[in-house]
Amino acid sequence: MTTSCPLCCIAPPDLLIAIAERGDAADREAAQRTLAASAVLRAQREEATRRRREAGADTEVQGVATQVGGRRTVYDAGHGTEAALPGRKVRGEGDEPVADTAVNEAYDGAGLTYSFYKDVYERDSIDGKGMELISSVHYGTDFDNAFWNGSQMVYGDGSGRIFVKGGLTKDIDVVAHELTHGVTQMTAALDYSKQPGALNESFSDVFGSLVKQHHLGQTADQADWLIGAGILGSALTGQALRSMKAPGTANDLDHQASSMSGYADLPDDNDPAHDNGGVHINSGIPNRAFYLAATAIGGHAWEAAGRIWYVTLTGHLEPTSDFSAAADATLATAGELFGAASHERQAVNAAWKEVGVL
Amino acid sequence: MKVSVVRGGGLAGIVETTTADSETLAPDDAARLRNKVDETGFFDLPGDVPPAGGGSGGADRFHYAVTIEDDDRTHTVRRAEPDLPEALGALIDWVSSVPGRRTGLTPPGGSP
Repeated sequence: MTTSCPLCCIAPPDLLIAIAERGDAADREAAQRTLAASAVLRAQREEATRRRREAGADTEVQGVATQVGGRRTVYDAGHGTEAALPGRKVRGEGDEPVADTAVNEAYDGAGLTYSFYKDVYERDSIDGKGMELISSVHYGTDFDNAFWNGSQMVYGDGSGRIFVKGGLTKDIDVVAHELTHGVTQMTAALDYSKQPGALNESFSDVFGSLVKQHHLGQTADQADWLIGAGILGSALTGQALRSMKAPGTANDLDHQASSMSGYADLPDDNDPAHDNGGVHINSGIPNRAFYLAATAIGGHAWEAAGRIWYVTLTGHLEPTSDFSAAADATLATAGELFGAASHERQAVNAAWKEVGVL
Repeated sequence: MKVSVVRGGGLAGIVETTTADSETLAPDDAARLRNKVDETGFFDLPGDVPPAGGGSGGADRFHYAVTIEDDDRTHTVRRAEPDLPEALGALIDWVSSVPGRRTGLTPPGGSP
């Protein structure tokens, strides 16, 4: 099989399954070969992630670009979708700004996120080993989403309905949220399902907000604790996508849980309305726990509370960790970093109790 | 013919439902709707294909459930956004912008 373009080889599996089941003999054979190759590619991608996690990226890992020092490269997807990624290269590390605002915002947001992780936690990029930060802008048509695809950042333009046009690269907390999905993939590798998935979402909101707070030089009591402030489109009424301080209040469709009494026990059954088992609704619970701990400790949230959450994410969780395991791990980490009787550990304990996890 | 597109997940997690019904579309658009549906081979597509990405499939991706009612046939196809067949992606884009469509937003967890 070819390995020259790993991101371009993601074939629509059901077309292949349909051909494999119903096509003529030659088509069936070709489809079965492609399905097998796709499975091999996925396995290789997971293996590359595992090797990167365990061994770092001092050596080239198959299928994943390796650079030193978090070099940024921004591509234009030209309104194509997955098969078009990454697209046409429009700005590399150190290049002058270009005329396209989305390109410059993606470039600057990746830089601020890289600097945060490097300066605050001495982490060299997403994998801790200087991985290149790849972003693609102008994905799809009026596409109301930004995401991490397992290898890179991807930004749509927004339709004006859920997100304002051009809004998805505007907020540094959204950019840092997506890049943190990469950090989580390379460290705890939390399953994107139910409680581990809600934790995965929450760590992205936590460090998304911390990158913004660090950039603005804010203390915990000065921060707005909002994700996606000021980029909502006309179909939503409110100030932001989510509030870590008061989950469920950021906009008229924000039904995030703020404690375990509001936990939405949704199945992870491929139904789009169930959102991988409620990952974006239940993330409000650990989000608020972090907010409560950080404000009780006081000062800059990235210093004590952020370090406790960072050390937990990168060393004390596993893919199936649930809320309770995360609470225990942050408590243990707080004890290791600040002492068993410390104010910091007490604040973390009280925060998880307040949201009903402990 | 009635085409209903439920889109969930994404960075926002908000569920958007868009419906286009040939009974209420302009005649030209109703004909186009049928052509677009025919191009997908919709009623022969497997209904439920789990996301292909596995542990490295990324985060905040959209998920779709497309349901089509036509005469006495009804079929639902569920896919993650990167796994959409090209013609189905084109149908979704078209339904999402055709005049006369109906749209609604709900938080995650409600019935589509």
